[in-house]
Amino acid sequence: MQFLPLTRLTSIPNINFTAAFIALVAARVWLSLTDLSNVLKHEQELSSPLTSFSQLQEGIYLFQHDIDPYSGGSFRHSPLLLSLFTTVLPSSRTLASLLWTLNDAVGAWAMVEIWRARQHIRSSPRDTLIAALYLLNPYIFLPSVALSTSSLENTLMLLSILFACRKKASAALFTLSFLLQLSLSSILMVLPIALLLVTDPHSHLASPKALAVPLKALVSPSGEFVVYTVFLTLVSTLVAGGWAWIPQTWGATITLPDLTPNTGLWWYFFTEMFDHFRPFFLMVFTTHLLIYIVPVCIKYQYDPLYASFILIGILGTFKAYTTLSDPGLFLSMIAIFPEIYPHMRHPIVTTLLHLHAALLMPLFNHLWLTQGTGNANFFYATTLVFACANAAGLVDCMWAGLRIAIGEEVEGWAVVQE
Amino acid sequence: MDGAERPLSKWKQPLLKLRDRLRPSGDVNLKRLQRKRALFALLTRRLWLIKFTLFLAGYLWMIYIPSPLWGRGTYIDENALQPAQVNTNWNWGDVHAADRHLEQLECIRDGNWTSEQRARWLKEEFGKHGVVSSTQRYSFSTSLTTIHGTNAYAVLASPRHSGTEAMIISASWLSRSGEGDGTINIRGVSTVLALAGFLKRYSYWAKDIVFVVSDGYLDGMQAWLGAYHGSSQSGLYAEPLQFTSGVIWTALNIDYPGHSFSHLGVFFEGLNGRLPNQDLINSFERIARYTAGVSVTVYDHLDPRAEPSANKAPWFLPQFIYNIPEVKGYLYQANNIVRHAKYQASGRGSGVHGLFHQFRIDAITLFAVPAMGPHGFHAIGRTIESTLRTMNNLLERLHASFFFYILPGPQRFLKIGLYLPSVILISVAMMFHGLSIWSNAGWVEETLPTEKESKVQSTTKWRRRRRPIISALCIMIATHTLGLIVFNIVTTPWFMKNPQALSPCMLVLGIATPLLFVRRVGTDVGSAPTFMVLKAFNLCLSSTVISIITLLNFSLAASLTLFLTPVVALSSPALSAQVRLIKYSAYASIAFAWLLFHQSLVDVVWSWQVLSVWLAPFICIVYTPLVLQAAIVCSLPC
Repeated sequence: MQFLPLTRLTSIPNINFTAAFIALVAARVWLSLTDLSNVLKHEQELSSPLTSFSQLQEGIYLFQHDIDPYSGGSFRHSPLLLSLFTTVLPSSRTLASLLWTLNDAVGAWAMVEIWRARQHIRSSPRDTLIAALYLLNPYIFLPSVALSTSSLENTLMLLSILFACRKKASAALFTLSFLLQLSLSSILMVLPIALLLVTDPHSHLASPKALAVPLKALVSPSGEFVVYTVFLTLVSTLVAGGWAWIPQTWGATITLPDLTPNTGLWWYFFTEMFDHFRPFFLMVFTTHLLIYIVPVCIKYQYDPLYASFILIGILGTFKAYTTLSDPGLFLSMIAIFPEIYPHMRHPIVTTLLHLHAALLMPLFNHLWLTQGTGNANFFYATTLVFACANAAGLVDCMWAGLRIAIGEEVEGWAVVQE
Repeated sequence: MDGAERPLSKWKQPLLKLRDRLRPSGDVNLKRLQRKRALFALLTRRLWLIKFTLFLAGYLWMIYIPSPLWGRGTYIDENALQPAQVNTNWNWGDVHAADRHLEQLECIRDGNWTSEQRARWLKEEFGKHGVVSSTQRYSFSTSLTTIHGTNAYAVLASPRHSGTEAMIISASWLSRSGEGDGTINIRGVSTVLALAGFLKRYSYWAKDIVFVVSDGYLDGMQAWLGAYHGSSQSGLYAEPLQFTSGVIWTALNIDYPGHSFSHLGVFFEGLNGRLPNQDLINSFERIARYTAGVSVTVYDHLDPRAEPSANKAPWFLPQFIYNIPEVKGYLYQANNIVRHAKYQASGRGSGVHGLFHQFRIDAITLFAVPAMGPHGFHAIGRTIESTLRTMNNLLERLHASFFFYILPGPQRFLKIGLYLPSVILISVAMMFHGLSIWSNAGWVEETLPTEKESKVQSTTKWRRRRRPIISALCIMIATHTLGLIVFNIVTTPWFMKNPQALSPCMLVLGIATPLLFVRRVGTDVGSAPTFMVLKAFNLCLSSTVISIITLLNFSLAASLTLFLTPVVALSSPALSAQVRLIKYSAYASIAFAWLLFHQSLVDVVWSWQVLSVWLAPFICIVYTPLVLQAAIVCSLPC
């Protein structure tokens, strides 16, 4: 059964989607060409050591001067980005700004298409709203203006989901393996995307049922994914001229060598850690991310798109080296699931937590590192508020996604969680 | 068998009750649900009491802050400082040198030298003492005027170190008395010149000492510091510095306008509410007291408990009440705190030292409070010498937790935990108020007539309703955009050149514009009235703004709880359209009232353009829109 919130759809004025989309992209192009890019380029909330454009430029410079960029210890981008940016893609800031905006436009388009695929319609009045929620989400556009490569990762993630919704197995899995090259943590998405490929993207939240296809069907997408990953890894090795890139890029996600502050939960914990506990807790933090995959996929086996959405939220909250655009993707994706809105328990609390965190993070970063009156604990405390905000949103979405199936509330009855 | 029937012994009964609580029989979920509902019902019934208590506690706490029973005595936190532990060498010969400089400066003052000539002379004087020196020309162009000036400075290279660290002794040409109204800081400049010759003679300096005589009041030092740190600023032209040194850690600014002084006043508030590390103030206070025997005051307020001359009851208090020591102490401390709040909330700081803070330099101004005696160059020289020795001891930047404090007296302070909760409590109360309105907006009580036994009864039932979030958000975005437009207009040169004529027009436009888009707000049947959602959002946003500003600028946050909180919390629509319009106009006038204070407006815009003090954009883009939203709440139909 498909849940179409028709009452909501009708209340949105019908705006010509193409015109609105072009206007939105134009606004973003204007924004990217203002001086904002220079102001934001070193903001720690917007780009981590793994996604910073300045470090990418440094790597490109070293690469072009025949110095192995991976021997230094500061360059942590994938060799694939290195090869693309030294050949076809521009590395000047202005052109890169346009490229990043274009990339976000593609992301927004992919999100609209995912919505259409989920609702099984060609177009809807909601399209403009969805595109606007992606393009104008400050968590998305600020990292993009700061040229963080996490914006590219977001677009790849959305494209991979879109291809999976359209049953284009090769495209989806190739995009995903490309994304894996850029960010190791996206390994979480393999199972939900494989599930999405063998089932359908429509909303089944209101009518849960067991997975209809046998698990054997997952073998071939997984195999294909492994083949693409091995291929891209070999390409990377060829580009980098050796295996040194692996500990520098993928390894950094696991061993956390760079403790530059970011919006995530890892950096402060490992700053404070005694060295002899480090390996153990690195293992705990890494495994902690992985343990969510199977339970979430089992619970939402009837709606793998929703499972992907939840896992994106988990990535945005718990992965190493997060930037604002990781939780931003989760927040913007809420737009695709209007059927859960009536069942959310505390949207206003989540919103207010996000408001506080979004204002406090730059402020405390400034107090600590620019003004010098604060210290690391200030910024860490706000990243905790931010984590609470993300977790509140995540838990609420999980609850609402399960709660729909029980139906409307009946007078005198209550739904409780055992 | 019969054990169960026997009445339970006294000690067993509560134990069983406890066990029943912890491990309830029956449906656990039901119990949990009932417990939750009971808790919610209790909270909802008592919500007004909770809100009221929080508001009251917050405001009472704020009133209690100046109490002499609150806070504790100051102490030195950084052990390396070791204040007042050295023998000073500044003697009457150096006082004589300062007097000689003073005579020459008096000639310069009477001869109306240009700042260029003056700076050249100062440069030569520094040179005569054997310190490398130079001048720096600068000009600021703002919406209103263009200021030109020339700074003179000299760098005394450290004999014991490589010159990677420095400390500054500075004096601005204009004194802070009258906030730079033209009083010349003539003895301050003489002190700096004499110190250059004196400090050169000693070999124990581990940091470079930079002497700066800046032109004007604030502008000269802003230009010099900008050039020193390589930061550029629109509208500022400053010559690059010929000589520089290393990282500046601390700075002392000397302000000595009068003939002699009775107390050394300490001024410490910086730009945008930043305060210097308290250790610097405490070290200076101890050194002045023990080494030079000079009493220190906060600002130029004399303590009525120690100074008979200041022992006068204010007009509103009879003398016998004033004579109670606690009352006297409270009023003295309240006076200090109000002055502190004015400096901090305005963001402009209390003097030249405030400019240093933006570059992470801890700085204070020593103000020689003009009097007929007993102190002069001898006392100020010894104090500065010993304070420099203390600053010289620093091994790292001043860093301890002493950046957030209120100084109600020279030897007392309030740490952050003793004053911050007052504003936070009020902000939490606002948040609760907003959330309760939000949840009220989501429900409507319906009366259903039911016929039972031929009697018409009515039962009430709660029904969910939709909340017009989008239109409330659109109104908020529109008001903030309006604020941005107002800000851009106010900072243009043509507005700044004739504010008398233009600000009334601006006022009328500002009040009228929101009415245009408010007219379009309609209410759907069955959904909550827009004003409720708007008011809820307005309260939540105001609460967020206030609680976030507390750490950046506590005085500004406290001022917001006085000027913003009542407006936002009390706004409500009226039934008749006329009353609504009147209420709207009154609220909107509060939002734009600042337009009528022309001189302050010009000052605030000047400090935004020259010193980057963000009070002007804050008022236009945050404060005014928040009050406007409250005004719109009043104008919407209920």
